[in-house]
Amino acid sequence: MDLFLERLISGLTNGSIYALLALALVVVFRGTGTLNFAQGELALFTTFVAWWLTTQSLPIWFAIAAALGVGFIMGALIERLLIRPVAKRNDMAVLIVALGLFTGLNSLAGLLWGSETKIMPSPFPNGESDFISIGGARLYGDALGVWGALIGLMGLMTLLFRFTKVGLHMRAVADNATSATLAGVRTSRILAIGWGLSGAIGALAGVLVTPLAPQQLSLTTMFSIFIAASAAALFGGLDSLVGAVVGGLVIGVLEAMLTGYVSVIGGSLQQTSALLIIVVILFAKPTGLFGTTKLVRV
Amino acid sequence: MLGANGAGKTTTMQAIAGLMSWRGSIELDGRPLPRRPEQVVRSGVSLVPQGRGTLGALTVLENLRVGAAVRTDAAGVSADIDRWCEVFPVLGRRSRQTAGTLSGGEQQMLAVARALMSRPRLLLCDEPSLGLAPIVVQELFATLARINETDGTAMLIVEQNAELAMDLASTVYLLDVGTIAASGTPADFRADDAVRTAYLGY
Repeated sequence: MDLFLERLISGLTNGSIYALLALALVVVFRGTGTLNFAQGELALFTTFVAWWLTTQSLPIWFAIAAALGVGFIMGALIERLLIRPVAKRNDMAVLIVALGLFTGLNSLAGLLWGSETKIMPSPFPNGESDFISIGGARLYGDALGVWGALIGLMGLMTLLFRFTKVGLHMRAVADNATSATLAGVRTSRILAIGWGLSGAIGALAGVLVTPLAPQQLSLTTMFSIFIAASAAALFGGLDSLVGAVVGGLVIGVLEAMLTGYVSVIGGSLQQTSALLIIVVILFAKPTGLFGTTKLVRV
Repeated sequence: MLGANGAGKTTTMQAIAGLMSWRGSIELDGRPLPRRPEQVVRSGVSLVPQGRGTLGALTVLENLRVGAAVRTDAAGVSADIDRWCEVFPVLGRRSRQTAGTLSGGEQQMLAVARALMSRPRLLLCDEPSLGLAPIVVQELFATLARINETDGTAMLIVEQNAELAMDLASTVYLLDVGTIAASGTPADFRADDAVRTAYLGY
């Protein structure tokens, strides 16, 4: 029983990270209709920024806040300088630019900070004894912190989309950009804010996951997480925030259970199981479990 | 604004609203209009596009609030929302429903109300009667006429149904292959046999 609980806890923790990065993907997808392949590497880059700041003996919380800021600015700049000019031509061009960013950001991080593995400090208590016992399973402080971050972010996003003008305009642009602009919404500013927001959310996922990740902070850390997050976003239908969160948690738990109980899968097939989930979803329900098949009466 | 299919009515509307690039000049009250849609709205011109363009996933109330995107007077915005929900009672009744679930006529009311939320000096309507039942069209046009009278909002309406349009309009423009072929009061149009047979078809 305690083994099951421990797997559940670890699945939910990884799942929370997938959910965070999936949220970043969904925010961009809803605004621009693009799956941002560079999301994971952008998160990696901003995590390196946070790590570098901690090596300058700045406090971890400051480093995280700065990484979120850098993520926001980089996201907004990428939209304005790289995505918008090509988005007018065609969707495939956007995809290619995102793939270019994917390799570009990774190489840039390698160039600036080297390819050797870094130790990223955790903002939460994560010592050997920082746990509470639940039914014999150990729930560590950093797992709780990650859950808290996900819940907090969901709360903030709900407030943003429900109760603020910017949030309302973001939803309007996602629904129909032409109609929104005819109503006087500054569409281009809203899109840049959306990309910025997703850059910041990605940065949060990055700084939270690296202290937990087995390989710590290296140039490949975010890749497998990005794969799982894409699966989570697809699971939710790409345009649903709730779907992304549920998708992230489901994939996290499934992964933990599969690798735990099905010995063939072990550690090495972990990524494959996420990809398998993507394929199964696409076969069974192309719009994802929470995706809106738009309800329209004419 | 009347004209056959392909005469350039929708193109004219879209050019004014800033949805396409154009050469020459478009002026309102002697001042040139900007070229970007959101700036056009800011200068007091609001377009109800063909096909209505309501935001289907948002509620009726949220659609109206998006219509006030260029305004900063929160109290005035709430007052206007109340007002349009009274003028178009169906919007008041369905305020928390998503726009995608409204009928065609209700969506058209919403599209007009949303355009009015920016308090335009000039309201552009591109074929508001398209696909609507005659009774709904009558109701809509009567409401437009009332708003025009009480608020002094100028209206430029593209309409295929010439008779209907001429009942409402003070000036009629006939568009033919991108140029104004004839203009005048509805009475002029009805009296001019040549124009009537050539363009109005009766």
